[in-house]
Amino acid sequence: MTTVMVVDDHPMWRDGVGRDLTEAGFEVVATADSVRSATERAAAVRPDVVLMDMHLPDGSGADATASVLQASPATRILVLSASSEREDVLEAVKAGASGYLVKSASAEELREAVTATADGQAIFTPGLAGLVLGEYRRMATAPADADNPAPTLTDRETDVLRFVAKGLSAKQIATRLGISHRTVENHVQASLRKLQLSNRVELARYAIEQGLD
Amino acid sequence: MTSSGMLPLWRAAQVFRFASLLYAGAVQYRVNQYYAHRSLSWVVFALVLVWSGIAAVLYSTERRRRPIVIVEVVVTLVLMSSTLLVGPASYFQHHQVVPTSFWSTNAVVSVALLAGPWWGMASAAVVGLSALAICGQLTNISFDATLPILLAVGLALGYGSRVVRQAQERLEQAIRLEAATHERERLAREVHDTTLQVLAYVKRRGSEIGGATTELATLAGDQESALRRLLSRQAAGPLDTDGDLAAALQRALPADVTFSAPADPIRLPAATLSELVAAVSAALDNTARHAGPGARSFVLVEDLGGEVVVTVRDDGSGMPHGRLAEARAEGRLGVSSSIEGRLTALGGRAEVVTAPGEGTEWELTVPVKEGR
Repeated sequence: MTTVMVVDDHPMWRDGVGRDLTEAGFEVVATADSVRSATERAAAVRPDVVLMDMHLPDGSGADATASVLQASPATRILVLSASSEREDVLEAVKAGASGYLVKSASAEELREAVTATADGQAIFTPGLAGLVLGEYRRMATAPADADNPAPTLTDRETDVLRFVAKGLSAKQIATRLGISHRTVENHVQASLRKLQLSNRVELARYAIEQGLD
Repeated sequence: MTSSGMLPLWRAAQVFRFASLLYAGAVQYRVNQYYAHRSLSWVVFALVLVWSGIAAVLYSTERRRRPIVIVEVVVTLVLMSSTLLVGPASYFQHHQVVPTSFWSTNAVVSVALLAGPWWGMASAAVVGLSALAICGQLTNISFDATLPILLAVGLALGYGSRVVRQAQERLEQAIRLEAATHERERLAREVHDTTLQVLAYVKRRGSEIGGATTELATLAGDQESALRRLLSRQAAGPLDTDGDLAAALQRALPADVTFSAPADPIRLPAATLSELVAAVSAALDNTARHAGPGARSFVLVEDLGGEVVVTVRDDGSGMPHGRLAEARAEGRLGVSSSIEGRLTALGGRAEVVTAPGEGTEWELTVPVKEGR
């Protein structure tokens, strides 16, 4: 059975989502209300999936994502957030979260997203595609860095991300571009992986420069 | 009273006080041989020095200055009157009041800085007329140059201090207003991220459970949309100023529209902002009317550097090819002219792609200054 941990400092939300997930057949093995408790419990119970809120009393969702992944590297993180927190969501995704769902999503969408996340898929909602697309464009215009060149999207990846951001399903995109459903998924995964990899290189380099390594 | 903006003026006035003191000292040194009571004149000059020191120190820091100014006027008048003791009266008939002389201007400067042009001129009149009266020159008032100069000093400095004070007040008001706006935005975000989430959750769960809880779900749903309307109305103000396109759109769009945008703000001038929001709203209204039941809407904002592109898509029934052109040819302009007109006015363009069963997609492109 897929094990889930719910991280949110809002008790009503935490309990509600936990109940939804239990009813849907997931095992909610832990809940947490802060970066610290989330990290400790993730290390102890190693959940398959963590549902992560963006506002915690002792740090951002990105902080929590990074430290939970460090404590339990096999865990996959699904960000649940209000739609107005775009910058925070982008940071969490760069830190390694593999999907993003708005809090107003239905119980059905939540169930599907947790199942897919546990399967290792990226939950690429239109909101996340718009964020990732914007981040690649921002990096393309930022001053070049010879040691760590900014990752770029292929034309095909850009097309796929734009379609996702405009709300087309993977099947619709496959039909429009004349490619397979699987290839669409691969393009989406690749765009996310390049972003996270570049972020890790950046962080590692920063750590070495600061003598923290 | 927070008049920290006045402090530089007060300090400058103390520099003037020092300069006037040098002048008074030079006069005292040159003319004290003609006095009837020379040692008394030095005592008076020493008092001038002492008071100058006290006043300079007191004025140069932030404090309540009214009592000091009152004391200064009285001290100045008393020291001026001491001229009569230093005597002989015959000597002063064609001279200024000694040993204070030019130094007495400082009292006028202080009053003008404290209380503005009217009080500045009034104190100039008191000091100037007293000087004339002490020297017995009141009959010569029309030939005297000192009084008009004192009046000009009182007027100019008083007016200057009033301008500085008003500028300071306006600045403080602007800072307060900005703080209030920030606080409003923070509250709106807070409510959006917490209360609205809970209401949305109650609505969702309530209608899933069904039965009697459906009523609770409906109530929660009503409250949610009422609160959203309140927030967007309250936040409508900033559209008068430059701002972030994504934030402006998010406030204006109905909650069931799926919205995507880059994380970094896209700052646009107020006019562009409100026209774009209006064009997007028009496209969404059109979806609500024509796309059929259950159609979902998506809005994507992209920043391409020299251009900003807003795509409004729905997955509804779409329109047969050429239907828009047809409508235009028949003179029924409606939504397409409303959207295209706004974009053309902004120097941009609006393109629409639609086909039966394929939904409708508007692509709105606006040129923007790079390096905003």
